[in-house]
Amino acid sequence: MAATQTNPLRVGLRQERVISPQCLVIFGASGDLTHRKLIPALFELFRQRRLPTEFAVLGCARRPWSDEDFRSRMAEALAEEVKQHQSAWQQFAACLFYEPVDLQQDEDVVRLGTRLEAIDRLRATRGNRTFYLSVSPAFYGSGCRALAAAGLLRDPARSRVVIEKPFGTDYASAEQLNRVVQACGQEQQIFRIDHYLGKETVQNILVLRFANTIFEPIWNRNYIANVQITAAETVGVEERAGYYESSGALRDMVQNHLTQMLALTTMEAPGRFDPEAIRNEKAKVLQAARLANEDEPWKCCVRGQYSRGGSPAMPLSGYRQEPGVNPNSTTETYVAMKLFIDNWRWQGVPFYLRTGKRLPKRLSEVVLTFREAPVHLFDAAGGSPTANQLVLRIQPDEGAGFVFEVKAPGSGMRSRPVDMHFSYDESFGEPSDEGYVRLLADAMLGDPTLFTRSDEVEAAWRLYTPLLELIEEAPWQLPVQPYEAGTWGPGAADSLLADDGLLWRRP
Amino acid sequence: MAPQLTLQAPLELPPAEVPGYLDRLWGEALQESTGAATFTLLVWEPSWLQQQLIRTGRIDGPLSGLLNGELLEAARQVVGEVGLPTSTAPMAPEVAWRLGQQAGDHSAEDLRGQFVDRAISAHRPRRLITLAPTLAADHPLETLVAAYCPLAEERSGSEDACGDVVVLRGGMGAIEQGLAMLQPLIPAELPCWVWWNGSMDESPELLEALAVPPRRLVVDSSIGEPRRCLDLLVDRIELGQAVNDLNWLRLRSWRESLAMVFDPPRRQLALDQVVQLDIDVEGNHPVKGLLLAAWIADRLGWHLQSSYWIHGDRPEGLGIGAEFQRTDGQSVQFRLMPVPVGISKTHPGALVGLRLICAPAGQSPLCVILCSESGGCMRLEAGGVASMELAEEVVPLPNESEEMEMARLLAGGHDSTNPLLAAAAPLAAKLLPS
Repeated sequence: MAATQTNPLRVGLRQERVISPQCLVIFGASGDLTHRKLIPALFELFRQRRLPTEFAVLGCARRPWSDEDFRSRMAEALAEEVKQHQSAWQQFAACLFYEPVDLQQDEDVVRLGTRLEAIDRLRATRGNRTFYLSVSPAFYGSGCRALAAAGLLRDPARSRVVIEKPFGTDYASAEQLNRVVQACGQEQQIFRIDHYLGKETVQNILVLRFANTIFEPIWNRNYIANVQITAAETVGVEERAGYYESSGALRDMVQNHLTQMLALTTMEAPGRFDPEAIRNEKAKVLQAARLANEDEPWKCCVRGQYSRGGSPAMPLSGYRQEPGVNPNSTTETYVAMKLFIDNWRWQGVPFYLRTGKRLPKRLSEVVLTFREAPVHLFDAAGGSPTANQLVLRIQPDEGAGFVFEVKAPGSGMRSRPVDMHFSYDESFGEPSDEGYVRLLADAMLGDPTLFTRSDEVEAAWRLYTPLLELIEEAPWQLPVQPYEAGTWGPGAADSLLADDGLLWRRP
Repeated sequence: MAPQLTLQAPLELPPAEVPGYLDRLWGEALQESTGAATFTLLVWEPSWLQQQLIRTGRIDGPLSGLLNGELLEAARQVVGEVGLPTSTAPMAPEVAWRLGQQAGDHSAEDLRGQFVDRAISAHRPRRLITLAPTLAADHPLETLVAAYCPLAEERSGSEDACGDVVVLRGGMGAIEQGLAMLQPLIPAELPCWVWWNGSMDESPELLEALAVPPRRLVVDSSIGEPRRCLDLLVDRIELGQAVNDLNWLRLRSWRESLAMVFDPPRRQLALDQVVQLDIDVEGNHPVKGLLLAAWIADRLGWHLQSSYWIHGDRPEGLGIGAEFQRTDGQSVQFRLMPVPVGISKTHPGALVGLRLICAPAGQSPLCVILCSESGGCMRLEAGGVASMELAEEVVPLPNESEEMEMARLLAGGHDSTNPLLAAAAPLAAKLLPS
């Protein structure tokens, strides 16, 4: 969210929750995520005085770096911030340590334990530890096993593990990984990260629904005709071809980010604001969700792949021409699908999900379209009255809008739609924390509300299993359809809605 | 409130034997337990009010050092009976002092230092040292020692990290004698917090001796003579010591409410055009109101030009006026007024209301009024406010005990003073007229 202006009275007031003294251990500390996201997020927390003095970061990777190497590499990576806040960086850098560790080597893990005890003494971190697995997904299970074997996960209140996405590649692998990590520690110690949940506006879905009385009574099949959830990106695959080729849009975006938005939009009200109560409701609604046609999934899903596009002045490569991509790749960069949720609240309401790369706009939103008025008393300026829509904008221009009919000015009684608009920028003008700032803080606070629980992950994978099996076993039934880069996806995606007499919202 | 579980009943030992005993305790008897690598909490716990209420038979014991509803109710009754203004807070030192003039010889078991709020014990202090002065000045020094481990429901795993409690009890002279044994009892490798849970006026030498940097000091600037409270805050901040002021922390909801009013960017320009700031406080203790004004002035870049007493015949005391200069050279008038209240809050000088008037050029003035949940805004709503754009908010009363605030500090502290307090305290000290 872009800041428009900073409220001078707001500075320094964000200290509502206190992170306990602790050591954050980052495995994969030499990797991109550490210097691009994690250390900047921690430095931001430090500058906001949300980290205690008794705090340490222990970077771990195979490279034989020293503490000083690690500090100087992080300083290089954050050169701009370091320049702006030199004195703060000096203090923060004193919290950074490094230990060469290969989690597959027992002696390394033993040495890690010794180093952590030394840091506990040096920094008075009280034995509280958060282990962040920013490593290849192939090492999530073995990493957890190594930590458990070294006794580093023994105390569930003082040690926790944060696991990056993807958590498994399908239902079976996610279930297997869950078994492994749960054998290493208690579920309360496992924090499966989905950075979408760190976004203020995603969290706002809960507040909007459950802190206002006007929405919940109409938040059901009696009033809502359909729901569209969109996560569109303008970028292509960039430097992620290696990962993306084996993942595709379904695994990369739908199973986690879109499904989390779906769960928050459709879950029942929890009995209290409590991590387990919220995660119970999310898991329940995901367990009730299904593809619109599980027997013939190709009828409720469209896959696409961007081809060359753009303009002569700014040509855009097709996916197959991107560096590192197989020229005959059948990986989808776009996916759209229709789901139903078989419960009392949502029975019969179609949910349309779509995501893609190289689309015309970068945006994420949830659009709830309400049923039409039973009788049309007025002529509509646009031919037919527009159904009411509640638009929850996740990014950019975070906020919400409500579309409703009003009388068009002039003689006669013609109606036309208008948009009532709420914007975070206009109301608060304060930049919200980057997702990792919020999620790292929550993990260190031991608050799992914004992390996915094992049954949620499994329910999400189970939901898409018919599609994944189809792609695996009979890909010709669900081929990737080309779409020109910079357009809203393949024409078949429009047909998916046209069959129901609907259109995708053009934001 | 939950009593701390001790592995043994507190043991009374001669003071000289305490360090040796603790060494033996950890070396032999508690070999199976892990000593918590957390912090030391050193508490000055005079509890004069509770001691006097017990002595005069107004409440029953035991003497725990913890505030509760019965104690506050009894103190409020005293305020009326001894003829103090009704705005006098139960925690005002004059209440205990007036009680001290009354006869009485009731006594109760003294459990100070042995009752620990669960919020604090959940952080597993490695060592909790309580200095518990008695009313009787000639009471000899008694030293109690006990080891403890977390209660069953506080235990988090297989490691039962344990700590110990040490209580030094006696008359003031005896306590001062006991100071010599404190230093070896404070583990050098762990952070140490000194909670001065009494008036900032009393025993300055003792405070000086206990609150040695880099120990982190926790005080309450609502208790004590205002000039002394502010000067002490400023001195300590200038020394570079980490100072936490519970009175400042209790301003949290006021600062948050005021910031919220100016969150929408369309309102933020008005912050450059403030012409008047009024603050009403309960009774004659202005420190909290001054800290709030100083915070606003610091954040908005105002420069103090002058401050003066506002005389009147109200029993609550004198008001304070001041003039600031904004960054554009325009003047801002500030008034802090003590107002009477029927039922005072627990601590002296609680805020009743705040009014901020902004006069942007070419636009109608904006008036922001914040009032306390229990106070109402009527006084601040007077004076032509109706013609202005009005933003009015009710500030919720803080509902956290001292121990909860303290626990929040202990949960994750800093070895430096909060920059906002560090900037506000010196300005608040200048705002208080000589």
